[in-house]
Amino acid sequence: MSTAGAPLTMFRMTTRNLYRRPMRTALTAVGVAVGVVAIVAFTTIVRGLWRSVEGIIHVNDAELLVFQSNIAADLLSILDEEETREKLRSVPGVERALGSLWHVAPVGNRPFCLILGLDHAEIDAESGNLIRGRTPAADDEVLLGSIASKHVLQRDVGDTVEIMGEACRVVGIYRTGVVFTDGGLVIQLRRLQRMIAKENQVTVFQVHLREGFDAEEIAEEIDKRYPELVAVSSAGEYQKADQGLVVANGMVWAVSFLAIVIGSIIVANTMWMTVLERTREIGVLRALGWARSRIVAMIIMEAAGVGVIAALIGCPAGFGLAKLAAVLPVSDQFLSPVFDAEPFLLALSISIGLSVLGALIPAWRAARISPAEALRYE
Amino acid sequence: MSDSGEPKAVVARGLVKYYEGGRVHAVDKLDFDVAAGEFVAIRGPSGCGKTTLLNLLAAIDRPDAGSLEIAGRSLKGMSDAEIDAFRRDEIGLVFQLHNLLPDLTALENVQAPMMGTCLDKRGRLTRAMELIERVGLGDRAHALPTVLSGGERQRVAVARSLANKPHMLLADEPTGALDSKSSDRLLDLLDELQRESETTLIVVTHDDHVAERADRVLNMLDGRMRN
Repeated sequence: MSTAGAPLTMFRMTTRNLYRRPMRTALTAVGVAVGVVAIVAFTTIVRGLWRSVEGIIHVNDAELLVFQSNIAADLLSILDEEETREKLRSVPGVERALGSLWHVAPVGNRPFCLILGLDHAEIDAESGNLIRGRTPAADDEVLLGSIASKHVLQRDVGDTVEIMGEACRVVGIYRTGVVFTDGGLVIQLRRLQRMIAKENQVTVFQVHLREGFDAEEIAEEIDKRYPELVAVSSAGEYQKADQGLVVANGMVWAVSFLAIVIGSIIVANTMWMTVLERTREIGVLRALGWARSRIVAMIIMEAAGVGVIAALIGCPAGFGLAKLAAVLPVSDQFLSPVFDAEPFLLALSISIGLSVLGALIPAWRAARISPAEALRYE
Repeated sequence: MSDSGEPKAVVARGLVKYYEGGRVHAVDKLDFDVAAGEFVAIRGPSGCGKTTLLNLLAAIDRPDAGSLEIAGRSLKGMSDAEIDAFRRDEIGLVFQLHNLLPDLTALENVQAPMMGTCLDKRGRLTRAMELIERVGLGDRAHALPTVLSGGERQRVAVARSLANKPHMLLADEPTGALDSKSSDRLLDLLDELQRESETTLIVVTHDDHVAERADRVLNMLDGRMRN
């Protein structure tokens, strides 16, 4: 007597059918995987942007950032330093408001680099952010972010960097854990104001609150009291000062939608061919008493199988692409992809979803096959 | 049940099936009965309507007129889902060209009709293994159809047809693609299984050798019974 082996299940039938034409299954999966790669890569990058923005808001334990209102990009914000500081100090709960000027300009051999103008006296040497060297004392002394030091400018303590034609000495290296700031450098605020002709102006205020005050409530209060200002307490609110995240999010969904459309068409084409090729077989199954719903389930499960294979191919490739993008020159200053389960789960569900979507019409066609006609089919 | 009280496997009255908008009457006003447990051969030349009649009896096609009762149940008015379940539970089918699923092993092919029944997967496997052993293919259970001989494939098809313990076994030219030795073995097997299970057996054939084994022969010509 022979051994019985494993029982026949729908899952087993699905894998057999997928394995029947391995090249076709693989090519279809690759077609769907292209979309998955795009979704995963964009999602990890955009999630990295969100995390960086959250980091910028709370760098040095600040609770709020305050920008000029009605602007499309944070770098366009212009605030009068003294006047704004006074306004913010008048708001109950505000303990300290630290102004900084943000500027993007060529530094060294890099086409652009984020330059943060900060009052040297306000830099907290005890914050733990300084990982090498000391805080600047003179006007021509600068701090480099850890990414700027290692990758972007490749300078260390004791070296010189040229900023907009002016030589500055590197006296320390800091790390905040936020790619935007770690990819840039800190220069004396007054010097930067003079260099770019923005005397008494800053881009943003970092606001520290007194204990017991809620950041969201204070942000609302600032917005209400001073309509010319906008306060941001979380990455979700950052669109009040910058549309970049909104655009990036839109881009992810546009790419996802495109991937869904293209992937669905690819799967529909393959499953349609599969159904035509297996008309007689489907007829036999119907003649053996298989209900239409079971035939539909079989086709849908095969399509879902293609989706799973596509996700297994596309997710690592998408992660790899995002990682590659993040180490390229220029993008290494602002990209810090987040590699966690969310992009994988999103890609897996979209991949399976679009495969099933593509299989709906072929499955409907398969379910309508008359067993009598199918058995006559050659 | 017939008028005489004898249980009937098939009661056909005025059965009609036509094609091409009514121009071709494949089955033309057929009246006949088949008793439960009977072995009936339907004989006739190619194109006489034998396979069409078998499709009607197997509930894989619906008549255009007339009435048909199988195992005491009228097929008229049954929904598609009811017909599917009826076909699965009451009818066993053996095709001329076996029609095994090419990517499934012999054992898996026998399990296929049981999917969707109340048997769980272990129960299905056990039943399939019993049937494969019964048709003498225990050592070929895990072989794909492509490596089986024509006779072996037909024996797998017979095992598959019995999977759900049907009331009626229908075979369409089951020996049509077999040599005489394999043909005899298959007919012996069908004979034995039919007697063991007291299943009604209806075989469509144009082979006199097959017809000789039947309890009764129905001769068809141009969609009608000649006897």
